[in-house]
Amino acid sequence: MIPLSHFMLISGLLFCIGLYAVLSKRNAIMILIGIEFMLNAAILNLVAFGKYDKQVMGGQMFALFAIVLAAATVAVSLAIILNVYTYYKNIDPTTIDQLRD
Amino acid sequence: MEALISEHIILISLLVAVMPLLTFFGSLIFRGNVIRSGSFAIFYIGLSLLLSVVVFVQVWNGPSIHEQFHWFTIGSWELRIGVLLNNLSVLMMLLVSGIALLVNIYSTKYMQGDPYIRRYWAYLGLFCFSMLGMVIVDNLLLVYMFWELVGFSSYLLIGFWFTRSTAVRANKKAFIMNRLGDLGFLIGIMIIFSQFQTLDITRLFGNEGLVEAAVVSGGSWIGSAGSMPAEWLTIAGIVFFLAAVAKSAQFPLHTWLPDAMEGPTSVSSLIHAATMVAAGVFLIARVYPLFDDTVLLVIASIGAFTAFMAATIALTQNDIKRILAFSTISQLGFMMLAMGVGASGSALFHLVTHAFFKCLLFLAAGAILHEMAHLKEKSGKDFDPQDIRNMGGLRKYMPVTFITMAIGSLALVALPLTSGYLSKDAILIQSFEWAEGVGGWHRLIPVSAMITSWLTAFYISRLIFKVFFGEFRLSALTSGLHVHEAPAAMKYVLVILSVFCLFPVFSLNPLLFEDAWILQGFPQVESMTRINAFHTVVPAAVNLISIALICLCYKWYAVRQSAPDFSRSVLFKFSQDQWHLDRFYSSVLVSGTTAFAGFLYWIDRYIVDGIVNSAGVLGRWLASGSRWIDRYVVDGLVNFSGYLAGIVGNFVRHFQTGRLQHYLVTMLIIILTLFIYKYYTAAI
Amino acid sequence: MSIEQVVFYFLAATVLFSAFMVVFNRNMVRSIFLFFVTLFAMSGLFIYALADFVAVTQLIVYVGGMLVLMIFAFLLSSKTILNTSAAHKTSLIGLHHIPGMIISLLFFLILFVTIYQANPEEISWIRNAGNNTLVASDNTIHAIGINLMTRYLIPFEIISVLLMMALIGAAHLARRTKKQ
Repeated sequence: MIPLSHFMLISGLLFCIGLYAVLSKRNAIMILIGIEFMLNAAILNLVAFGKYDKQVMGGQMFALFAIVLAAATVAVSLAIILNVYTYYKNIDPTTIDQLRD
Repeated sequence: MEALISEHIILISLLVAVMPLLTFFGSLIFRGNVIRSGSFAIFYIGLSLLLSVVVFVQVWNGPSIHEQFHWFTIGSWELRIGVLLNNLSVLMMLLVSGIALLVNIYSTKYMQGDPYIRRYWAYLGLFCFSMLGMVIVDNLLLVYMFWELVGFSSYLLIGFWFTRSTAVRANKKAFIMNRLGDLGFLIGIMIIFSQFQTLDITRLFGNEGLVEAAVVSGGSWIGSAGSMPAEWLTIAGIVFFLAAVAKSAQFPLHTWLPDAMEGPTSVSSLIHAATMVAAGVFLIARVYPLFDDTVLLVIASIGAFTAFMAATIALTQNDIKRILAFSTISQLGFMMLAMGVGASGSALFHLVTHAFFKCLLFLAAGAILHEMAHLKEKSGKDFDPQDIRNMGGLRKYMPVTFITMAIGSLALVALPLTSGYLSKDAILIQSFEWAEGVGGWHRLIPVSAMITSWLTAFYISRLIFKVFFGEFRLSALTSGLHVHEAPAAMKYVLVILSVFCLFPVFSLNPLLFEDAWILQGFPQVESMTRINAFHTVVPAAVNLISIALICLCYKWYAVRQSAPDFSRSVLFKFSQDQWHLDRFYSSVLVSGTTAFAGFLYWIDRYIVDGIVNSAGVLGRWLASGSRWIDRYVVDGLVNFSGYLAGIVGNFVRHFQTGRLQHYLVTMLIIILTLFIYKYYTAAI
Repeated sequence: MSIEQVVFYFLAATVLFSAFMVVFNRNMVRSIFLFFVTLFAMSGLFIYALADFVAVTQLIVYVGGMLVLMIFAFLLSSKTILNTSAAHKTSLIGLHHIPGMIISLLFFLILFVTIYQANPEEISWIRNAGNNTLVASDNTIHAIGINLMTRYLIPFEIISVLLMMALIGAAHLARRTKKQ
């Protein structure tokens, strides 16, 4: 019904939006949101291809695992962001530049 | 005894020459009264005289004695030197040693009290050695050596009182002018050597000598060893004559002789009257066969001209020694004239007689000066003791001096009964005979010689009358003090010399010169025919007019002091300033040379040194250029590479921002680049 | 054009539009709420891919869990976080946005080109998967459950362990230190 390439396009666009958010946002939480977008795009892709795999259900299984992992990622990231905020008193990644050569 | 002498004649002649050299060394090395009083010098020169008498007796009019030994060899040419004793040698030897002894005796009194008397005896000894050496050697090279040594001794003696600047200038002038003559001598030696390959006098100038054998044909002078263009024969003659011109003070190299009077008067008498100036005549006599007709004419002309010129200058001089100096130049001109017309025997005869009477005149003048200097000291007034205008009436106070000086003057004027008459008349008559033989303009030469004799009479009698007659012109100044007679040593020398001025020493016949024994010893020139007319007319004319001039002088200067005053006329000034020759030499030659030297100094200082300095400046400039290159280019490159590394490093450093998103961007850029590259290469 | 396609494209547009708004909105709170909208629309898209269980899981976990957590973390933290983010009055397209924009545009270009070149309908196993294709009447929960326990048991166990690790880790990281 819906061609596969459309799904792929949508997921690609979402991925790029998420990429943009990661690269140019001045807020750590926005970066986290960008990462979530990228993950969501990947999950959409998995699911779109998973339609053609009834026996193993590989696509959907991996989509589930990916969702779980995304959740874990967010949890840990928020804890880290909180710690960073406690130390640096702001969450602007451009000011956190101590880890350089 | 006879055999002993004849065996060792050469050794004896060598001793004659060397004795005065012992005086030279001894006077410089030893001290003591023996030296200072002159006994040392007199002993040796007396010994020289004695031995030269012995040699003279042995050799005169006999065969010439010649001995040589080998000195050194250059390549295949060996130089043999030795002693040659012929008439000319022994005559000169006797003359020189005799006059030297008399002057030495005179000097004991004249130079008494001088603080540098040892040097004086030494230099006199050196001079006698060099003069005696010159007359006995047989090689032109050795004659040249002794010639220069004579010039050097003259330099030392003229500048004896070297603290006086005039003496120093005079001896420098004498030495430099003599050197000009030496140049001629050297050129002559070179020409003769290249033509004949030998410098031996007997081989060159003896009978059947190489010079006589050489012929001039087809424009070239063909000698034994080669040939050269014929002009060189004339040139050789001219340059030898040039040597004689310088040494015997002929025109134009005569200006040193009047200035040489700065030396002591005894020195002037020995060197510049009797002996050294005669060395020029001696040289002409030695190389006589070399001269051809052109050269002989030149010799005669210059001799005649010099004689005339010097006589005209002597007319107006006021310094007693200068009058006598110009008189010497004039008489030497006579000798040269005689040589030029071919009467070499007469020239040598006149040399001998001139030596005696000129030496006498100088020594007498020295005595007068000695006394005048004493008078100046005693009276404490300042006047020139040599000026004849300050003298007068000295006949009363110095009778012996007066008589001897008068005899010498008569010999100079050449009145009969004197030796001078014989020799000068020989010259005059023979020059007239020569002019008759040649004819034309050449007659001017003997005529000018005759006029010069008259002028001689005038100036010497002016001298005598002004000095000895009348009243003492300075009696007011010296308030009654007057001069005394000369001391004994000086007086007796004057007397001995005056004896030699009279005829008996030279010829038993007072009127005929052919009987003179000196002339017998020298060959006469056959080309001159004897013209009897001259033998009576010439002496008569000369002597009568001379006597007339003497009487005129007497009237003007002795009796009434009524000489007409010519001092404002042009001719008088011309004569008094020595025909402006000295001034001309000084302003043109001396100034020209010093200006040239100054110009060369300027070139050396600014151009040569300038080039050297500019080379240094160039080197410095190049060095600064290379320093600039080193500092800005080389170091610049090195610094630039460091700067470049800094720039690149600084640029790259900024990639490490520590900002997360920058790292992500960089990483993604690289991934994208890879994707695009892969895509495009795959697409193409 | 059937109504399903229209709805699909509407949902797709919603996803993309709200994603855009999330990224380009200056206000943080609005971004998070728009994120909420995005996730909802995403699950709608999952349904069109016949992955209904995944869609619901997305809603429960992502929206209900994650987003709520973020909102809580956001709101319950001190006000300065909000202030600092609000203080940034940056322009919409500032200098620091440019590299991100360029890179994401290029990335999309590459993806676009790749997708069209890849031509996913023509991939062999997709074309040949006639019986293997999911249909709307299939019981996906049943299949997922069976596969989870049999085929994907190890990943399942590992996932649970990982969850526990994340839990412990997050709890430890977020603890109050003694100085506070």
